[in-house]
Amino acid sequence: MLTEKIALPDSGRAASSGRRLPARLLRGAVRLRRLGTVGLVLYALALGAGLGLATANWATRGRYPFGGVTLNAWTAWPKIGARDADPYVRAIHARTGEVPLALGEGLLLTALTDDSGRRLDPSCRYRIAGATPPSRAWTLTVERRGRARADAATDAAKTEGSKTDGAGDAGAPRTGFTSTEVLRDRDGRFAVTLGPVVQPGNWLPMPAGEGSIRLVLRLYDTPVAASTGVLEREGVPSITREDCP
Amino acid sequence: MTPLGRFILATLCGLVLAGLVHVAAVLAIPYLATGDALSQARATLANDTSVLVHAVETGGKAEGAPAAGWLPRQDPAVAVGVCAYDLDDGPVRITAETGPLLETIALHGRNGAYYAITDQAALRGTVELVIMTKRQYDEALASADEDERNRDMRIVAPSREGFVSIRVLAALPSQQALANEAARSVSCTIDGPDE
Repeated sequence: MLTEKIALPDSGRAASSGRRLPARLLRGAVRLRRLGTVGLVLYALALGAGLGLATANWATRGRYPFGGVTLNAWTAWPKIGARDADPYVRAIHARTGEVPLALGEGLLLTALTDDSGRRLDPSCRYRIAGATPPSRAWTLTVERRGRARADAATDAAKTEGSKTDGAGDAGAPRTGFTSTEVLRDRDGRFAVTLGPVVQPGNWLPMPAGEGSIRLVLRLYDTPVAASTGVLEREGVPSITREDCP
Repeated sequence: MTPLGRFILATLCGLVLAGLVHVAAVLAIPYLATGDALSQARATLANDTSVLVHAVETGGKAEGAPAAGWLPRQDPAVAVGVCAYDLDDGPVRITAETGPLLETIALHGRNGAYYAITDQAALRGTVELVIMTKRQYDEALASADEDERNRDMRIVAPSREGFVSIRVLAALPSQQALANEAARSVSCTIDGPDE
């Protein structure tokens, strides 16, 4: 098959059509002819290996590519801890070492945007309010992609501080609320304010560092895990942007 | 064929190859990974109790917290303990004393979680599971004494190796120590012949 390919170009020199092609393409083609079949095969192999591995790496880097159930701003991930988790989820868990919430344990919901679809902005103030789906307990946390570096920095600062003035651990800023500690109104609903400036009520500080903001709602021991239809009926907390500088 | 045509053909071949490589790589990652939870948990195989891998630190520095956790970011209010098992040595018995806190126990095999139970299933404050292979299960059934009722909760594992994860929620920062202790104190022992 390859020998045929070698023999072919001479007959179809493409001189007539070549004039119409852009000069750069033509020059490239001439160079390619010099490269020969071996070069083309090597090119195809390199392209396949490079592109294949790069896309595999990209798809299994950390966030689940698909399998979520979207509800307003939230995405529920009921399949990540199930036996029939898809290969991408398995690959992600293998790479990160994650121990996922199993189907009977709870349900993970994440949000990267507010209810109107805009990405969560670290300089804005958000109100996360409403009711949560039925569960024995839930936790609402905020995390930032580049937190590891920022954490290391604050840890270093902290140890330095304790060395100099002997102050104890002042406590890291709050990163989440549990269903027990959140303050509620008379109807049992809650409103958490996420923002960089101190707020009355349930204030969740915007985490420092760089990278995108992600809200994580974990429902523990919930009947929702079996069917996400319950989620639609009971509703998820709303995320509304209040003001931005 | 023109040189350009050959080039396009080579590119198309490369793209098809890329698709194959992508699928093969994604499928191969779980078998080649060394940082996955099962490999990390295997270090605890010799222990008789679970090992705390993520401590609750909502109420300040936790005592006996793992120095370098291999887990990615977890719920800050949940203590996670793991305990690896290898069914080659016999069925494994998991015993957890439940407390006032929400506690969930999940069993993970090579291909992800296959069973989970919460502390609501506890009998007199204890959750007790026996993990066995299909063969061990059949043996246990065959050698069972008909007059004696067996109260073990038996679970057939899909693979020989796996690990148990224990999550304990500290709903309030003051429950931190209790949660960490609970995640650390689940016993997982090889279930020897009873008699």
